[in-house]
Amino acid sequence: MSDEIILDVKNLSTVITTDRVPVRIVKDVSFQLRRGRTLAIVGESGCGKSVTMQSVVKLVSRNYHITADHVLYRSFRSGAPKEYRLDKLAPYGRVMRSLRGPEISMVFQDPMMSLNPVYKIGDQVIEGLLQHNPGMKKREAWARALEMLKKLGIPAAEQRINEYPHQMSGGMKQRIVIAIAMICDPQIIIADEPTTALDVTIQSQIMELMKQLQTEDRKSIILITHNMGLVAEMADDVAVMYMGRVVEAGPIQAIFENPLHPYTQGLLKSVPVLGMARDKPLIAIPGSTPNPADLTEGCEFAGRCPYCEAACLRGVIPSFEAEPGHQVRCLRSAHGEVN
Amino acid sequence: MDKVNAPVGGHQAIANARRLGTSLRKKRIRKFVGNKLAVFGLAVIVVFLFMALFAPFLTPYDPLEPNFGQTLKGPSAEHWFGTDSMGRDLYTRVLYGARVSILIAVSSSLIANAIGVVMGAFGGYFGGWLDKGLVRLSELFACFPQLIIVLVVMAFIGPGTFNLILVFAITGWTGTFRLVRAEYMSKKEETYVKACEAFGMSRLKIMFFQILPSVMTTVIIQVTMNIPGYVMSEAGLSFLGFGVPMSTPTWGTMLNAAKSMKVLLYAPGVWLVPGCAISLFVLAVNFFGDGLRDVMDPRQQ
Amino acid sequence: MAKYVAKRLLLTLVMIIIISFAIFVALNNTGVDPISFKLGLDNYTPEAAAELREKLGLNAPLVVRYLRWWKDMLSGNFGYSIAHGYSIRSGLIAKWPATLEISLTAMIVSTVIGIGIGMLSAIWQNSIVDYLGRMIAAIGNSVPEYFFALILIQLFSVRLQLLPTSGRVPAGAVTFWDRLPNLILPVAALAIPMCGNLMRYTRNTMLDVANQEYVKLARSKGIPEWKVYIKHVFRNSMRPVVTVLLFRMTLLLGGSVAVETIFSWPGVGQVLTQAITASDYSVVMLYTLMMAVLMLTISFLVDLFAALLDPRVRLDK
Repeated sequence: MSDEIILDVKNLSTVITTDRVPVRIVKDVSFQLRRGRTLAIVGESGCGKSVTMQSVVKLVSRNYHITADHVLYRSFRSGAPKEYRLDKLAPYGRVMRSLRGPEISMVFQDPMMSLNPVYKIGDQVIEGLLQHNPGMKKREAWARALEMLKKLGIPAAEQRINEYPHQMSGGMKQRIVIAIAMICDPQIIIADEPTTALDVTIQSQIMELMKQLQTEDRKSIILITHNMGLVAEMADDVAVMYMGRVVEAGPIQAIFENPLHPYTQGLLKSVPVLGMARDKPLIAIPGSTPNPADLTEGCEFAGRCPYCEAACLRGVIPSFEAEPGHQVRCLRSAHGEVN
Repeated sequence: MDKVNAPVGGHQAIANARRLGTSLRKKRIRKFVGNKLAVFGLAVIVVFLFMALFAPFLTPYDPLEPNFGQTLKGPSAEHWFGTDSMGRDLYTRVLYGARVSILIAVSSSLIANAIGVVMGAFGGYFGGWLDKGLVRLSELFACFPQLIIVLVVMAFIGPGTFNLILVFAITGWTGTFRLVRAEYMSKKEETYVKACEAFGMSRLKIMFFQILPSVMTTVIIQVTMNIPGYVMSEAGLSFLGFGVPMSTPTWGTMLNAAKSMKVLLYAPGVWLVPGCAISLFVLAVNFFGDGLRDVMDPRQQ
Repeated sequence: MAKYVAKRLLLTLVMIIIISFAIFVALNNTGVDPISFKLGLDNYTPEAAAELREKLGLNAPLVVRYLRWWKDMLSGNFGYSIAHGYSIRSGLIAKWPATLEISLTAMIVSTVIGIGIGMLSAIWQNSIVDYLGRMIAAIGNSVPEYFFALILIQLFSVRLQLLPTSGRVPAGAVTFWDRLPNLILPVAALAIPMCGNLMRYTRNTMLDVANQEYVKLARSKGIPEWKVYIKHVFRNSMRPVVTVLLFRMTLLLGGSVAVETIFSWPGVGQVLTQAITASDYSVVMLYTLMMAVLMLTISFLVDLFAALLDPRVRLDK
């Protein structure tokens, strides 16, 4: 299976400097994405999950400083896999740009803000297509875009394609954003909270759609979310992030059935998941997320952790392999006093 | 600061909130001090205010007394910036001029903003025909060159310091009006305002005791940012001869000397000195205002 | 769109009617009795005055007289200067081309330079270009155009002896090129302080737009940076930038009053200052009226143009 790893991130860190104060937002994050699978990156807002993904594809502002042991993308597009070291590429250089769209594409959080208000839907969908297929006629691109809109279940696509974003509903706009992401037939789709801005019914429609595309074309999806229900529905693997660190990672069964990190446990207890025991109460995690600038040493979760002890406040907590493929950054796992 | 919060109770939460409050203020001060231009602006403003306040102690000369033996002299030990065509010391006149120029600008800005706040509050909070009417009125004012409205009104009521402030105030409220109105329109939808309404608090009380404090940031910045415009307008009008009476020393009436061909061409010092004073002061207030805005309200452009 | 245009047009007309009516009322209450003025001191008797008043239609209701006033103006009769007796048509209206010459040239120059440098400043944020641009903008915002005009005269006319200090048409000028030297300084005095203003606005607007989600999405499509800037950032910045054009035109026309005085430029600004000095109310009020009509027209055109740039307004039925 390991040759099926399409994206391999090792020790990625991002420092954001605001008002001359550098703050580490992403700390030594490692994860692997397998071909045709969905990896969910879970955590509260502000835990650095979006920044992590933006750092991987280097769509970041100038005040971000990214370091990594390696960020490896393996393209399976033509015969033998071709490898790209994303961490070594210039953010807006030719090679990186050639990967954005046909290899890796993104679906952003807010469909309301993600479309340019002054261009027609069709023009925005074909922009990437024309960019990556030099010589393609506009008419041909337009036909492909129309096909894509139809595939995504947009009613009256012939008419919609000529409309402007302000004439559409949120759910429609998100389908358009997905169409833009899909039009170049990418290998990885990074979906950053793709449904938070939408109604619940439309949420499930959109997710259904993505799932369907994935199984049809063997796409890999990275799903960034704070919605555990969505994770349960969609993901094959899960990485739980807290304050810029992956605190627990593993296959979905392992995480849901045997959560080891107190934060993951809290997260699962605090969220209603379909099918969970009816008499189980919902429990909130005490306290609130600290300011990332205040954290210096020890476990990031120590301040809110019920099992916190002296050793948790020193140094960097290492990652332990609790069972094959199931990593956790908690000293309790080292002692073996698991649940 | 303690890293480990034992069980977080109410007291802890309040302490946290307080700590957040002071750290925000500290952060803002740090941010302001980090902005070299803003600090430079503040320093220049302080120097100007000091010079204006203590003018009599900083110079032995009288700003109005002519000395025909000493006309149009260049800079010297007795006259640091030289003298004008009536032999008056330019340094002295810049000091005394600062008094009137700054006074006019600051008071015009305060009054104009007060008008803008009241109109914006009523328009934004009440809406309806009142709001529509006020918006039209402000558009009418805003689409005229301000200098020209002021000129025309001054033509009718005649020059004078008080008249000038009055005219500046009644023509200069539109910018603040628009900003304050927009703020009120969004604030009136917020829960805390709805709560006050539900409790039956009077609308005026809600407008001026509940919403106004949250709008003050915008207003303070506006007051600061309007001052440069008034300094320049005062000087422009006085330069043309329609501002304050020529007998009052202001930076503008000093510039008026340049209307004489002889001074314009051959005694540039006479108009360079007040011109530079205006530009330096305006630059300083602009820098200070920008810094203030960055610190207090980064989203506003 | 048609509805939007009609609404804006109607509003503009209503505004013009309100302003002109206010001006008409003000003109009728200037304290100068046109009858005694017309009759002269020697011929003045109450009976003669009443007769002339009737003959001139001055006893008609205010609204009737107001309409008659508009009719006169539309047929080219704008009345006379109270102080100097010259016809307003030749003394004021005929001066507009001179004023528009410098203000429109200054407008074009400052718009091109301002938007240009503002764009570069935004694209190369925190580069040398950005710092220089911001420095020029800061100075431009702080040096009033009249002071700048004085400096220009001192520098280019007195010291370097390159350009003339005053007048619009030098003696013996035939072609545009003969007149060009006279145009340079007044236009520079108006345009350069104005550049700073627009530069700053363009830069800030573009930086604002550059942070929008849809720009990030455009980048995620893999299109080159220059395309991102032209197609997405610049195109969306144009609407706010165009919207401030009106405001800038008011600043320019305001500034042109002082600049015309300094350069002895024979435009309406100079007429205005002379009229104010002489308490020549009929000229002052007519100037105000024309300014109102001009500004309201520009305001209408700017709104129209801004609407054309934005499908949200353009397609609104």
